[in-house]
Amino acid sequence: MTTPRRPYVRRQYWNEPTMGWWERSYLLEVVRGLAITGGVFLRNMGKWLTGRKGALTAYYPEEIRADYAAGNRGKHILTQRPDGRPQCVACNMCATVCPAQVIEIDAAFDPDDPAHPKYPSRFEIDYSRCVFCGFCVEACPEDAIRMVKETPDLPGFDRDRMWLGKEELLNWQPHADVSKPYPVRPAAEPGRSPDA
Amino acid sequence: MPEIFINGQAIEARDDQTVMEVAREHGHFIPYFCWHPRLSVVGNCRMCLVEVEGRGLDIACNMPVAKGMQVFTNSEEVQAHRKAILQFITLNHPVDCGICDKAGECTLQDYHYEYSGQRSLSHDEKVRSTKFYNLSNRILLDNERCILCLRCTRFTHEVSKSMALGVERRGDISNIRPVEDRPLSEDPYSDNIVDICPVGALLSRQFLHKSRVWFLQPTPSVCPGCARGCTVQVWHRKPEWKLKALDPRQNENIARVTPLDNPAVNGPWICNKGRDLAQVFERARADEPMLKGRPVTVPAALDEARRLIGAARHPVALVSNWGSNEELETFKDKLGEVFHCFVKQDWQAQPGERIEDDLLIRGDKNPNTTRARELFGHAEPDFKDGTDLVLVWGEGFDFARLPPQARIIFLNSYLQPENGHADVFLPVSIQTERHGHYTNFEGTISAFEPCFEKKPGVQHAEDLIRALATPARGHP
Repeated sequence: MTTPRRPYVRRQYWNEPTMGWWERSYLLEVVRGLAITGGVFLRNMGKWLTGRKGALTAYYPEEIRADYAAGNRGKHILTQRPDGRPQCVACNMCATVCPAQVIEIDAAFDPDDPAHPKYPSRFEIDYSRCVFCGFCVEACPEDAIRMVKETPDLPGFDRDRMWLGKEELLNWQPHADVSKPYPVRPAAEPGRSPDA
Repeated sequence: MPEIFINGQAIEARDDQTVMEVAREHGHFIPYFCWHPRLSVVGNCRMCLVEVEGRGLDIACNMPVAKGMQVFTNSEEVQAHRKAILQFITLNHPVDCGICDKAGECTLQDYHYEYSGQRSLSHDEKVRSTKFYNLSNRILLDNERCILCLRCTRFTHEVSKSMALGVERRGDISNIRPVEDRPLSEDPYSDNIVDICPVGALLSRQFLHKSRVWFLQPTPSVCPGCARGCTVQVWHRKPEWKLKALDPRQNENIARVTPLDNPAVNGPWICNKGRDLAQVFERARADEPMLKGRPVTVPAALDEARRLIGAARHPVALVSNWGSNEELETFKDKLGEVFHCFVKQDWQAQPGERIEDDLLIRGDKNPNTTRARELFGHAEPDFKDGTDLVLVWGEGFDFARLPPQARIIFLNSYLQPENGHADVFLPVSIQTERHGHYTNFEGTISAFEPCFEKKPGVQHAEDLIRALATPARGHP
């Protein structure tokens, strides 16, 4: 024997609006709303005409937000050695760990630099697929890739043009990085040679 | 037949076996660096230490079996000593796995994670040595990474017999060095030492920094370089790691070739020519059917070829000995009655190449002459008077030898000047794009698998042969 199903009654979480005669008259209230919108519009327009900034909207992409958090994961940068060459040794750890598989590196051999015989001849990141997870930064054994808080210039008309190469990723100004003094040297353990 | 016990399991061993061999046969893994199943025992890495009841620790690779011996391959004492030995082996190892091409398939790396996982306990500075020593035009030597297992020197002494490598000086400054009057570059098997090196000390210049090994996958194949037909693994980029921004040729090129251990044919070795298969397969490819040099569609070319075959009175076919067993059998089955068939030698020995030796290399530089001759006989190509159509399958035949009045149907994979001279030219796929089998000179049949997609525009020779065998429209 089945129990008869009770009809579903939706629980009410809101209060019924209490409207006086002023609100009920509708037309007067519409005019008041239009006055608010028009006032803001005219104020912003006036500021804009006199060369000041009105609304808080950022004119992206011409204007970049100034208030990104310090830890925001934005555009990648490749750090440089004091002589300007990339710190990257093309070990492909970032390319391997990347969940979106957007990093592609071509390695080359430099027999003249025995300390860094392997270097990236090309380093490409596809920003149309990057998920900005920061795994590449964590995986890097050489502190060669970091993320700055500013976002890359993403807007474009073609998905295939959203690749940034080594040249773009290297043009970062290290002296602007106050929180991470550059170059970061690995802390030497007492009694151990730095090469060990 | 002594009975021995490994980790408590009773095993019947042969008298001439060592504990290492018995353990491997029965699935008890003992780690090792210097031991190799095809090389002599030196026992210098000490990694294969096992515990024998009543005798303490000793190395398994040099321990003959004795009746009733109790061997423990993973006791606590063995584990502790393995850890200590890995400390010694990595004492002067630079641990530059990030830039080492061996990383990912390195024995030292694997064992470190498996058996030690410990930082270096040494407080002394590591011994520095030569980083990139030119062993030959094919091989670089990194002495810092070398653990002196001496597999490479034993290989050149015992297998390739070139005696090209030795060890100079002693202790932690001892180095592998080439012997002065025996250059390694003249050893046609030299690249095998790159494979058997348990660390990244020996580096192939061809593969140097080309790709990390975990981006690659091996496909079993057969080396077409000579009648031995060594089984090989062709390494190419995994489809899931396909490159999108960098040179797309990297996605469909051979990254490297390594031997596929096959006791019936080549064992664990191949010659250097087998490593250079890319130079054969990555020549410029033909991808357009042509009628006397004029590009046409495949059906149009096939129609013209069928018309020529239908009209010919004395057609002759020169069959490629680079065709697989399946292709040759299809040809025999479908067109063997139509054509008078001869076997053509596609590839001749190149100048400077070793012609033949008693290890692997054979004089016939084609993979499937055996099966082709079984099907089509041993006769040399011979054009009797009245030959009015010649079907040439595969490269390497001088068109000047063809009778001048004969029409030519040409099946070839590569971009060559002869293509335009043929009345009908049809591009065909290459070995890395299809399945098949080759029969080597001893009659052993080995299979090869496709590594890459067929290039657009080309057809498999087997499909073309079937299509040619169907009668042309409008001709009986």
